[in-house]
This record gives sequence, C-alpha cells and structure tokens, in this order.
Amino acid sequence: MSELRRAQKSLETVRRAKEMLGTFYRRQERRREGAPLAWCMAGVSSELLYAFDLPWEWPENFGTLCAAKQVATRFCEQAEADGFSQDLCSYLRNNVGYVSRAVELGATPPEAPGGGMGTPTMLLGSGSICDPRIKWFQALSSTYLPIPVFHIDPMSPPHDVDPRDPRIAAHYTELLRETVQDQVAFLERQTGRRLDLGRLRAALANAQEMIALLWEIQELRRAVPCPMGSEDFFTGAVVPLLFMLGEPEATEYFRCLRDEVRDRVARGVGVIPDERYRFLWMGLPPWYNLGFFNAVGELGAVFPIETVYYVGAPVEIDLSDPLEALVERSWKRATWIHDWGAEVIPENCSPSGFSAPGTRLIRQWVKDYRLDGAVMHRTRSCRAVSWGQVHIKNQLAEEGVPSLIFESDMADPRSWSQSVIMGQVRGFLGAVEASKREAARA
Amino acid sequence: MALTGLARARALYEARDDRARELKAQGKRIVGYLCYFAPPEILEAAGLVPYRIRGDIRERVTDADQYVEPYGCPFVRNTFDQAVKGRYDFLDGVVMAHSCDSVQRMYGIWTHYRPAAFTHMVNVPHTVTPASERFFHRELGLFKERVEAFAGAPIDDRALEASIALYNRTRELVWELYQLRKSNPPLISGAEMLEVLIAGGGLPAAEFEELLREVTAEVTSRPDGPGAKRARLLFYGCINDDVTLIRLIEETSAHVVMDDTCIGARSFLGRVTNGGDPLAGFVRYYFTGFQCPRTYRGTDRSRFDYLIHAARQFQAQGVVLYMLSFCDPHKLDLVDVRRYLEDAGLPSLVLEDDYTLTNLESMRTRIQAFVEMVA
Repeated sequence: MSELRRAQKSLETVRRAKEMLGTFYRRQERRREGAPLAWCMAGVSSELLYAFDLPWEWPENFGTLCAAKQVATRFCEQAEADGFSQDLCSYLRNNVGYVSRAVELGATPPEAPGGGMGTPTMLLGSGSICDPRIKWFQALSSTYLPIPVFHIDPMSPPHDVDPRDPRIAAHYTELLRETVQDQVAFLERQTGRRLDLGRLRAALANAQEMIALLWEIQELRRAVPCPMGSEDFFTGAVVPLLFMLGEPEATEYFRCLRDEVRDRVARGVGVIPDERYRFLWMGLPPWYNLGFFNAVGELGAVFPIETVYYVGAPVEIDLSDPLEALVERSWKRATWIHDWGAEVIPENCSPSGFSAPGTRLIRQWVKDYRLDGAVMHRTRSCRAVSWGQVHIKNQLAEEGVPSLIFESDMADPRSWSQSVIMGQVRGFLGAVEASKREAARA
Repeated sequence: MALTGLARARALYEARDDRARELKAQGKRIVGYLCYFAPPEILEAAGLVPYRIRGDIRERVTDADQYVEPYGCPFVRNTFDQAVKGRYDFLDGVVMAHSCDSVQRMYGIWTHYRPAAFTHMVNVPHTVTPASERFFHRELGLFKERVEAFAGAPIDDRALEASIALYNRTRELVWELYQLRKSNPPLISGAEMLEVLIAGGGLPAAEFEELLREVTAEVTSRPDGPGAKRARLLFYGCINDDVTLIRLIEETSAHVVMDDTCIGARSFLGRVTNGGDPLAGFVRYYFTGFQCPRTYRGTDRSRFDYLIHAARQFQAQGVVLYMLSFCDPHKLDLVDVRRYLEDAGLPSLVLEDDYTLTNLESMRTRIQAFVEMVA
C-alpha cells in the first residue's frame, strides 16, 4: 500500500479547501437529531436541497473519501461477501459495504473516515450517467435501509437527434420538467415543508456565478506553463462543484481559486518547474492514489484539462421562475454538450452542474490546451465513464495525438499496480518525446 | 423435402440470417434491432422486415476491440464485432433502444463506424412513472415517423392494427407452447423452445406464426418428446441467444420448463392491446409491463412476484440465475432475487459467464450438484 499516496496540492486555495468549505467537511454539524437527512447521487440538484434547507450527504463522495483514506477495500469486500459482484461500481460497493457493516455493528463502523455518514431518512437518486445509479438505491433500500427512494429521470437525445429541433426540445424538456416537479413534490412530502422559491432563486444565482468562475478557471488553464493541474482539480474543485453548487461559500471559494489561478498565469507560475508534456486526463481519477498525478509530474508532465466533471460554458437562464430556470439550465447545457459531439458520452441532461465533453470538443482542446497527448484511465468497475476512450483515442490519432490507456479503478485499489502503470507511463512519455523530436526536425 | 416444425426451427436457428438474406435478395428491406423496446410491429407495418440482432457465442470478439472497450456487456460487444466483420451487411437499418448503458453507448459507436441507411435509437426512461410513460409514448411516435420516412410512406392505421394482431397471434402461440411445458415430462424441451424463439427473431411475423403452428402440431403428436428427468428448473437472467447452456442443463437430467429471459417469457408472453391508441398499447407492453431489470420498479421485493408465480405455475423446483459479466442491471437485482426465491422455498444456482461458455465443464459439475439438491 505504500505505493499509494495522496496528492501534493499546488494551489494555496486548494490546500485551504477544507477550511473554506467548512459546512461540507464538517457535515456532522449539518445533521439534526430526528430531522430529515438525504443521501444523494451526483445528478441531483444541490440548489434544490439547499432551497429546502435539507441536510444532504453523498455516498459517491464518501466512496472517494474512503478510497483516499485506504478503507474502501474493506467496505468493497463486505459488499462482495453480501453477494454484490466485483464487476459493480466500486463507489456502490463501498457504500453498500459501509451500510452492511453499520447494520451489522448497529453503529458507525470505526474505520469509516470523518465519522462516517449520517443515518438517512430518504435516498435521492438519479437516472443520469449510468444504470447502476438507478439500481444502487433500490438495492440499498430493499436490503439494508427500508426508507423512501426517489429518482429523477431526465433523458438526453442521442447523438443523431437534433436538440435544437423545437419538437425534440419540447419532448425532452417536458420529461425533465415533470421529473423535477415530481422530485419537489417528494421532498415536500418528506420534509413537511414547501419549496422556498426565493431560496432556490438565490442558490441558482450563486450557482450561475460559480459556473462562470469555473469556466474562467478552465480557460486560464490553457496557459503555458499550466497554472492548475488535475491533482488540484480533483482535490479542490470536485467537492464544491458536485456537492455544494449554489451554496455561497462554494462560490466564494471558486472566486479565490480563480484569483489565484489568474495570478499564477500573470506571473508565469506553473504546477511543475519544468513542464515538458501537456496531457488530457480522461476518466475518473484513482482516488486512493491522487499522488499519481504528482508522480507523473515528476517526469515533466502536467494535466491542464480533464474530461470528467466537465461543466462547459455558462448558459443564461431566467431566474424569475426558479424551477423553470433549473430546467432551462439543464437543457441548455445538454444542448451545448450535444453540439460538440455526443456519440460516446453518457446522458448529459441533468439538473446537476456537470457532464462530459463531446468528441469534437476534445479534438478542439488539443489546440486550445496545446496538448501533447491523452492519458486515459480505464476503470473496470465504471464502464459508463470509461466507455468511449478507444473511440476518443481513434479520434485523437487522426489529429496525430497519441494516447495511453491504462487500467485500474477509481475507488478499489486492489486493481492498482504502481510498477506496471508507471512503466506504461514512462514508455508513453518516451514515445511522445520521440514524436516531438521528429516533429521538431521536420 | 422442405423442413417443417422443429427441424425447420433448428435449421433457421443454425443458419440464422439465411432467410433475411433471401428476403433482401427479393427486394425487401431488413431492419436489425437490439433489445425489445422498439416495437417490431411498427417496422413490419411499414413493410420492412424486422430482424433481431444476435450475438454468436462461438465467435471470439476480435475486431471490435479497435473501437470499443474490453469491459462492457460481452453480448453487445459480440454483436458489434460481427457488424465490424461484415456479418450484418445485409441490414438496411439498425434500431437500438436505450435498454441499458451498453446498448445506449454502443449505438453511437456502431453508427459511427458502421453507418446504415436507417439508424435510430429509441430512448427509454429508467423509472415507471406517468411522466416517463408519456415520454415513451412520444418517443414511439417519433420512432414511427422515422420509420415512415425511411419506408417512404405513412403507416396506415389498419396496417398497424393488423401487425399488432399478427404479433399477438405469435405470442398466443408461444404461450400455447409454453403450456406444453407444464406436464411432466414436458412435451417440448427448453432447448427446443429456445431454438424456435431464436429462429422467430430472424423471420417476418407471418412466417414465425406458421413455424409455431407446425411446431405445436408436431410436439403434441410426437411419441418421443423429452423423456423423464430428475428435476424441473426455471432459467432466469441475462440474454441467452444460444441453446448450448440449456442443452447442458437438460443433459444433466433437469428439464428447463420455464424462463424469465429476454428471448423468452419476457418478450413473448402477454399481448399488446389492439384498437384505440396503438402507441399506448406499446407503452404498456414494451415499457410498463416489460420485466427487464434495467427499469426501476420500486424497492419492494414483491416486484419479483411474477417470477415466483411462474415457478409455481410450471412446478419448477429450482431456479438457474444466468449472469453475464458486467451486466449491472441484473447483477444489482441478484441479491434481492436470490433472497426472495429462498424465502419462497426455491433454491437457486448462479451461473456466471462472459458470453463465451468456455467454462462449460465447471458449469456442468455445478448444475449436477444443484440438480441433486433440488431433485
């Protein structure tokens, strides 16, 4: 296990994330005895939960935390012993194993990081991104936690259906609107409170500002040397983006992050001192070994852009009807993503703030981010995010851009092999170096 | 002499695309479909020939690896591998449905690398709600329009009603054949039944109807049907479009008397409501009532009541749970379904496979032990 290490963060703001995003990291303080607590999946609108003043926690994020703290294996094994296949998502197995163990002990498992998760009174799922997410809370509720479950279920048009066709737009937004309305009705029943539209409007306004700041940061990352690498993105941007969208402190955090990145660009400060290679990162990161990015950095490579948790360009929305604004934002983002080629991305119409970039956008990034290649993490237990890497590799090859695909997992460290993977990375760097030399001679 | 009945079914099963190629040579347009959410009745009513895309469990996936990941539904990868190798070059169109991640994502890859004259994906929500039913109804309307545009003419209401009636007749005939599996020994074996159903996937519905009538006549009159065996089993799980495994079970002295798979009871039992709004009938049959685990139907284990009912109806003593690698929907139901079966007094055996059946001998041993236990 000693080969697994935590990321060395480059940015001061990211180093201060836990302090600046205190209400997330001190989530125990959010829980109230006997009051509702939701477990949520990415894809659920944080703004809506904020508007209900409903405390919420995220099993997927807990999976990344357990992975980083090297306890995910324990929980995954527990789930496997209960009959859940090792093929299944390691976030899911981690969560199921955690719950199974908590039920067995009648208490929070002592090895659970951060004091574990709060006991939920409802499960809020989402049909976007992948199949296991629609089945996960079903299995959790039927086997361990008999509490109410609600899934939002928006759909996205396939790559060859034009979302700008008004009939298509009406077809998809009607489902989106209805599923969000059903979710509101569910939350009103579960919390005994009416949706506070003023609070939702404020949260959406905050989210709009945060998304604009993130877009600015992503644009700044084009600079050479790269001011912010994937290690800082994954450790510093994912939590506020996925789980705190709409909360004032998350917006403020992103403002500080933007300021720091902008300052670095102005001063020509990069993540690593001698930047020789710039790579696209594709796939989920190995959360139990984010130090991998530093290890690759020590070889002169930096990752200025990632395909996961991609937010894209901000879209304008009319906040006069905040619920409709949520629908409008989701659909406009889905349309923007779709415009860039959606043949291998998962469903991208989601009330949350992120998706995956289209194929043509990735080809465009080669120029925008001056990429020398792509490094792709094929995660055995997350086919939804890994699927399409071979296609993207083919697409990049048409641009003369090489790619490395290596295999492991996002939360289950049993599939990580440091020597094999670093050997593959070194070999890839050698090939990239040779091709750069050849290009320079030509 | 032309083959009839079970012999014809076997020949069609073995030479899976011969009839489709013949029809193609006669000027018919053939539309392949993966999974069962896009109603073939609509294709047939438009004068097209629906063809259920199969994998080939005996063919190793090789060429597809240039375009898709190794981790993914092995059945879907196998079908695409065959498309890459040109085995589906007789298809004028390809229709897929958002039945699961694998098919949804394969649609983009397939249409990118192997474009066809007509391609379409029917989107399917994950949960059964009034809103999702309305969405699926609209989605089927869009599918019908695309089919009409490809066929070059609107689908006449009467033609659609006739197509639904024809498909319903085939379902009734399939159900009649299933009823013949209730006796002990059954009059038709599980392997024979699967051959008939797979053969039907490559035929126009009228020809399938004729085949079913021949098979029914044959099995009800033959003196030498399946002999006595030690146990009666229900076969549940992932897609199984090859009879090898069912044959293996039946060689191991157990009848496969009922199934819950998508080339089986899930697709062929019940009927589409005809008359009135045909799309509403399709919504009920292909979405609301279609028992694919990819659809969320609440958390109560009573969602598997239909399975217990089927086991009781066909006097199954145990259930084989067939799981393909990376099938998230089925594998996430597995814990629940096993416990529910156990509570109902039905033992179960999990058989895992990667759509190669390379571990047949170890499966044989496990099946033998299971049969010993339930017999």
